[in-house]
Amino acid sequence: MYSPSVRPLALFTLLALVVLAACTKEPLTGTPDEAVAPEADAVVFDPALVPYPTLSTYRFFKGPMAQQRPVASVLPYEPITALFTDYAHKFRFVWMPPGVQATYNGDHDILDMPDGAVLIKTFYYDGVQPGNTRRIIETRLLFKRNGQWEFADYVWNAEQTEAYLDLSGSNTPVTWTDENGVTRSISYRIPAEAECQTCHKVAEASMPIGPKPQNLNSDHAYSDGVKNQLVKWVEQGYLQPGYPKNINTVVAWDDMTKPLDDRVRAYLDMNCAHCHTDLRHCSYRPMRFAWNENADPVNQGVCVPPDDPIEPSMTYIVARGNAARSMLHFRMSSNDEAVRMPLMGRTIVHQEAVDMIATWINTMPVPCN
Amino acid sequence: MKHLLLPALALLAVGTARAQNTCATALPVGLGLHTVDAINGTQPASPLCIGAAASMAEWFTFTATVDTAMQVTSFLSGYPTVDTRVHVYTGNCGALTCLAADDDTGPGYSSICNFNVTAGTTYTIAFDNYWTANGFTFALVEVAPPTPPVELINFGSTSIATSGLGALDMNNDGLDDIVGVSTNAVTILKQLATGGFQTSTIMTTPAVNTPSWSFAAGDLDGNGWNDMIYGGGSGATIMFANSDGTGFNQFNFPDNPYIFCQRTNMVDLENDGDLDGFSCHDVDANVAFVNDGSGNLTFTQGGYGPTCGNYGSLWTDWDNDGDQDLFIAKCGCDPVDQIMRNNGDGTFTEMNVALGFADNHQSWSSAWGDFDNDGDMDVLIGASSSGYHKLMRNNGNSTFTNVTAGSGIDNFTGQSIEWTTHDFNNDGWLDIHGGGGMLINNGDMTFQLDNTVPGNGPVADLNNDGFLDIVNGSTLRLNQPNENNWMRVRLIGTVSNKSAIGARITITTASGSQIREIRSGDGFRYMSTLYAHFGIGTDEEVLQISIRWPSGIVQVIENPAINTLHTITEELQTSVATERGAEVRVFPVPATDQLTVSGIAPNSLVRVIDAAGRTVISTTLSSSRLNVSALTAGTYVLEAITSEGRVVRTFSKE
Repeated sequence: MYSPSVRPLALFTLLALVVLAACTKEPLTGTPDEAVAPEADAVVFDPALVPYPTLSTYRFFKGPMAQQRPVASVLPYEPITALFTDYAHKFRFVWMPPGVQATYNGDHDILDMPDGAVLIKTFYYDGVQPGNTRRIIETRLLFKRNGQWEFADYVWNAEQTEAYLDLSGSNTPVTWTDENGVTRSISYRIPAEAECQTCHKVAEASMPIGPKPQNLNSDHAYSDGVKNQLVKWVEQGYLQPGYPKNINTVVAWDDMTKPLDDRVRAYLDMNCAHCHTDLRHCSYRPMRFAWNENADPVNQGVCVPPDDPIEPSMTYIVARGNAARSMLHFRMSSNDEAVRMPLMGRTIVHQEAVDMIATWINTMPVPCN
Repeated sequence: MKHLLLPALALLAVGTARAQNTCATALPVGLGLHTVDAINGTQPASPLCIGAAASMAEWFTFTATVDTAMQVTSFLSGYPTVDTRVHVYTGNCGALTCLAADDDTGPGYSSICNFNVTAGTTYTIAFDNYWTANGFTFALVEVAPPTPPVELINFGSTSIATSGLGALDMNNDGLDDIVGVSTNAVTILKQLATGGFQTSTIMTTPAVNTPSWSFAAGDLDGNGWNDMIYGGGSGATIMFANSDGTGFNQFNFPDNPYIFCQRTNMVDLENDGDLDGFSCHDVDANVAFVNDGSGNLTFTQGGYGPTCGNYGSLWTDWDNDGDQDLFIAKCGCDPVDQIMRNNGDGTFTEMNVALGFADNHQSWSSAWGDFDNDGDMDVLIGASSSGYHKLMRNNGNSTFTNVTAGSGIDNFTGQSIEWTTHDFNNDGWLDIHGGGGMLINNGDMTFQLDNTVPGNGPVADLNNDGFLDIVNGSTLRLNQPNENNWMRVRLIGTVSNKSAIGARITITTASGSQIREIRSGDGFRYMSTLYAHFGIGTDEEVLQISIRWPSGIVQVIENPAINTLHTITEELQTSVATERGAEVRVFPVPATDQLTVSGIAPNSLVRVIDAAGRTVISTTLSSSRLNVSALTAGTYVLEAITSEGRVVRTFSKE
């Protein structure tokens, strides 16, 4: 069991209380946040026992778990452009055992992380009806053990007090109203382990997708101030210093000050490249959507006929100047399970992104052929 | 696309055509260039000669002065290309008939439309705003008549009232119907003996999984009405038909186990007379839905190959030993094809390396059929992306030879996820459909490409003319018949599963023999007819139909009539095929009180099944004698499970 060094005596009683509470599996009811000293940070991660049946066992969070307030050793992070998951919001965190750290592995490659590293990703909605509340749906973990990444998924209860390990997959209905007043109802898909593996793999090996320098080289507002994320990871002791100064970094897809081309490429990288790159689930199709490959129009599918002509009028994957003839646009606009792209991870259309793609295609000069 | 202009055209002035908003006010135009400012005519092009409806059009007429070939084109060098669409008609306004149309033949989505004209006839031309209302310039020119494309088989085009996923007889009248599925309803277009279809919409409870990836049908519970498997991206849902086929009851497995379904099938996995279900799993081990014969389906996983890239399962008896073997077209994370021999005892042996099938090409389905009519199943494994097709000839001794080179398929670059085989021209040789074309069998393991055919879809005889038709979504593609003769066979199992899935049918004419199997789920996505179809060319007689039922019973019909559907029910007063368990005997026949069963191991599981397919005795035989005194007089089947698998013998009781 890993636990960081604690200041003895003064905090011992409090620690005992916390441990006692954990053993009896009752929450610290009514305990105000200030009473939990920030240094009482004993994340629980025993490689022989994980994944635990409940999320609270890991002790990633202080206070009521639904507040998602990480203990000091659990570091929040955020990719510059995120994956679309039916408009769900996400909290992302990383934790590593003391004394080990990740190393730089290339701008466009997952940081090489040590055994015991855990990536934590909580999915939630605000404005959930009825009641206009926040509802946390699931917290997914990717943890490294014996050199391999493994999956765990915790499904939150209705009371929002606990989440339970469940890798069998399920659906849950969610109705919510967003900040623009738009109400949507979906059947939200919580993945089965085999679904996790479909996207999170390189050849046969399970693999994270987000934590690459290209996605992390940006400022994040931490509780103690704004800082570049890679710098913060080094300060936290989670990243070996000495990575290159100039990282080929993505842009935020919805940052209107950035060139449209870059915004599209960043979106395609985070939403498509996990399948459309070498050694991935659909590497047998010609597109290559990773950030460091997708500036090439051929890799984007520009003027390339689709392999699978599910709709004959879609003459090219990207038909310059004509989004209505582009298979890429067609599939991104579809909700049919066997047509839509991405294939998994969404059940509704990301209309804002589709609109961006349409503008991108329609403003391309010189039609194909 | 060659673009011919008569030299004289250069002297013709460019005519600026004013917008002509309706058919009645269509502007007569002659040869030459014409400019349209914008498409804003209020009368849309109708009937539609191509594509879906638009809202506006510009109308022109052209009156031919000689018999010749004409072209209307919006692709003109020196002019910007515009995304146009054009329809060409004969007839009068209000009674227009489509003659030709074009959308994107020209570069930049411009239109190039060729049509033949006769002197004195007026042709109406409408450009519509389906893609854009922008103005453009077009030309009307005379061209040399094009060489007609190789069109070996013709298909018509009719709209139907549902998007068809399946084409099979749903109301047991011997006529194939069309089935469409939505979350809340099943739509059946019932083929009428008088022609056309009658729409029947049956509401269901909202389907937990819809057939977005594949659709299979057959009589799973044996109540006489076809049930359906919906293969969805997260799981499979079964729709069981009620007792008269007027409704469906939804069934899902407890806890809705995750299946990323690909091809689904119905197949009798254990050959116990109860039809089971099967689904390929894209990202995990394949799954089976095992039927215990008492109305219970159990979900199982594993035992049918590896755990990734399972796309196109096809069940076929490739080693001719009377049980269903499995071929899986593989793609993606593990693209090496699988071919598994059924060992007869519920286990399968992978033989891809030994048989030469361990290919690393991307394929989603395969077409299994006897392409050389020598009595065993050959296969074309079609590529789904840049890669190669593979034609394998079955040598009849459980080996295969790669005969792709020189077959004509080696030069075929079309690719698709769907590959199926049927005799589309009824000449007695199985053709292959896929890759955007049809490979017409020349009868010698070479094939000729016809690339004017429709795309893949469920296949059945949908107008009862003996020629197999294709459903493409909401369009019915009726196969235009020729003079060739044919036969269709409908099988009803009694001891075997009621749909007779897995049955082998052989017909013999003066020209030789052909074989078919009854299958549920071929190609990748669709469900085709459960009734076997044979073309027999110019043969006027069929000497016999021989059926080898899954139970092992062999039934022969002598001199059946041609050009009709034969409905054959499994009977028990016939001989039994006995490759395995040849030493098993039952006597005396007829039996009175005791039936002696010899040649099986002590404590073997035996069943006695009556002529209606009901199990009347089920027991473990400790001695060699079975007490049959309680049975009523009649004919029965004894089934024994031996070390070699299932063995069946008939006997009568008096």
